[in-house]
Amino acid sequence: MIAVEGLTKLYGGRTALDHVSFEVPKGEIFGFVGPNGAGKTTTLRILAALLEPTAGRALVDGADVTEHPDLVHERLGYMPDFFGVYDQLTAGEYLDFYAACYRQPKARRKKIADDLLELVGLTDRRDQAVDTLSRGLKQRLCLARALVHDPAVLLLDEPASGLDPRARVEMREILKELQTMGKTIIISSHILPELTELCTMIGIIDQGRMRATGPVQEVIRQLTTGRRLRITVLGHKEEAAAVLKPLPAVHEVVTVNGAIEAHYDGDDAAAAGILQALTAAGIKVSGFSQLEGGLEDAFMKATSEDI
Amino acid sequence: MNRIAIALWNPIVAKEYRSRMRTWRSPLAMTIYILLLGGVGWAIFSSTASSARNSFNGAQAANYGQVLFLWLILFQMVLLAFITPALTAGAVSSERERQTIDLLFVTKLPAFSILWGKLLASMSFVILLLLLSVPIFSLVFLFGGIELDQVLIAFLVTAVAALTLGIIGLACSTAFKRTLPATVSAYGAAFILLAGSLLFGLLFPTDINPNATKAPAPPAVTYLSPILPLVVIGMNAPVTGYGIRNGVYNMAQGGGMACSAGPNGAQSCYVTTVPIGKGAVGQPFNPPQPIGTTIPSGLFSGWQYWQATITMQLAICLLALILSALLLPPIRHLPWRRRARVVA
Repeated sequence: MIAVEGLTKLYGGRTALDHVSFEVPKGEIFGFVGPNGAGKTTTLRILAALLEPTAGRALVDGADVTEHPDLVHERLGYMPDFFGVYDQLTAGEYLDFYAACYRQPKARRKKIADDLLELVGLTDRRDQAVDTLSRGLKQRLCLARALVHDPAVLLLDEPASGLDPRARVEMREILKELQTMGKTIIISSHILPELTELCTMIGIIDQGRMRATGPVQEVIRQLTTGRRLRITVLGHKEEAAAVLKPLPAVHEVVTVNGAIEAHYDGDDAAAAGILQALTAAGIKVSGFSQLEGGLEDAFMKATSEDI
Repeated sequence: MNRIAIALWNPIVAKEYRSRMRTWRSPLAMTIYILLLGGVGWAIFSSTASSARNSFNGAQAANYGQVLFLWLILFQMVLLAFITPALTAGAVSSERERQTIDLLFVTKLPAFSILWGKLLASMSFVILLLLLSVPIFSLVFLFGGIELDQVLIAFLVTAVAALTLGIIGLACSTAFKRTLPATVSAYGAAFILLAGSLLFGLLFPTDINPNATKAPAPPAVTYLSPILPLVVIGMNAPVTGYGIRNGVYNMAQGGGMACSAGPNGAQSCYVTTVPIGKGAVGQPFNPPQPIGTTIPSGLFSGWQYWQATITMQLAICLLALILSALLLPPIRHLPWRRRARVVA
């Protein structure tokens, strides 16, 4: 559905994107993560045919963004990271205006606006002036705006930024619903745990270069080497650490929130060996569990070193 | 709706109307406009009434009518020269500043439709102001001296000049990212159009050629200004005292020609065989005089001044619109910017 090949963007002498490539099949939710200034917004603006790439190409549902921006606009809904609203328009009029801009027939526009306001939970705000809505409500309205022409692809640039926790949860619920509607979604975000839960694929970008891309668990597996054990003990933690550190499988022991975290190499048998060594040394182990590698670890690893 | 109707009436127009007319600024602007124009009309009317207290006849009435009309139409033009750039100079740049322009670019509206919508909405307001001024202009008919066709043509000239200023403002708004430089340049362009072109006629007037068979006319650049045709329409008389060199004309042989304008505006000249100022006075002659209110010679020979003005201004409108339509889209397909794209 979306194919990006060798996308490069230069601003003067600065390289904003350096041969970025990735693909997003139909129906997937692609989480686009990276630090500030990594090139996420630049990539999304190129995909929305709002910016011309210096080199490379990007296709949205087969339409080249540079050659056929009109076809691209027909097929995608775009929600920028920063956007304004017009004064003197109500939420209903706002959606009606954009529906008209997308050449939706007048007879259908009211229903479209009603349906979308219901989808984003703004039905009771239909007659409220858009410039008086809170940030979270404006974000939701902008998402509804991106859907007025029922696009197959959605580009959402930081849709949850600046939202309070409740508004974030609500936004996530809306995105899940869009997922069930079969939309292909690219979402850039800093909120990694949400992406892990929501996305089926991720791309990690840093300094204009794509560091890793693919299904979420695969990327996490690729980037997180080693395993971690969370151990809680009765008595002195120092004694337990003294037992753990000499073990050949263990290469780091740290204390996190009152528990010991042991980084080790090996499989479950190695973990069993570590437990056995602790109990053999008379340490009273009250908790012993494997810690899963997360997107956060993968992100930190991908953005801290060259791959 | 058919294609033309869709092109002419687009969502931007409806949205702009709605936004514009819901604020207090529009009624206030209309009220101030009417008060200013009415104030000028009232001032001229009362000064005329006081001077006509002792004696008043039909010829005087016609003269008063002409003066009132001329003042009103020129004042209206100046007012619109202040209002129109303000309406359009922020049309596109304010969308950029408000971060709403990208949301328009990703819709199915082509760049030209966005421009057209903005222009139509602004120009409709100008037309509304012109319509509001009609009752004030009807005062002129109390005196006479002005025909209906003069009023209609003067309104046409004013409307086209406002359209030109509006499109130039739109082009500035498209070319500059910020509203402030766009507004400053739009007002600069308005000044050049109205006053700069007239100044050109003063600085570089047409020289009277004693051998010419046609009367001299001001340089064609001066027709850009709507002031010149409005004065011609209002006075219903040819241009004689402006844009034509009225003093000493040095000829290659060392002789010269001195001209002066008579009280009725007609030229009378003397040709000498020795340089002017040596005390010699040659044979008097009268250069050809303009007939009617048409342009007597030059590029637009035989045209009415207003026709030349409208033609030149519409050409500027077309160029400015094309330039704006080329500059507006985020990805510009300009012929000179086509380059080999590297496909990685």
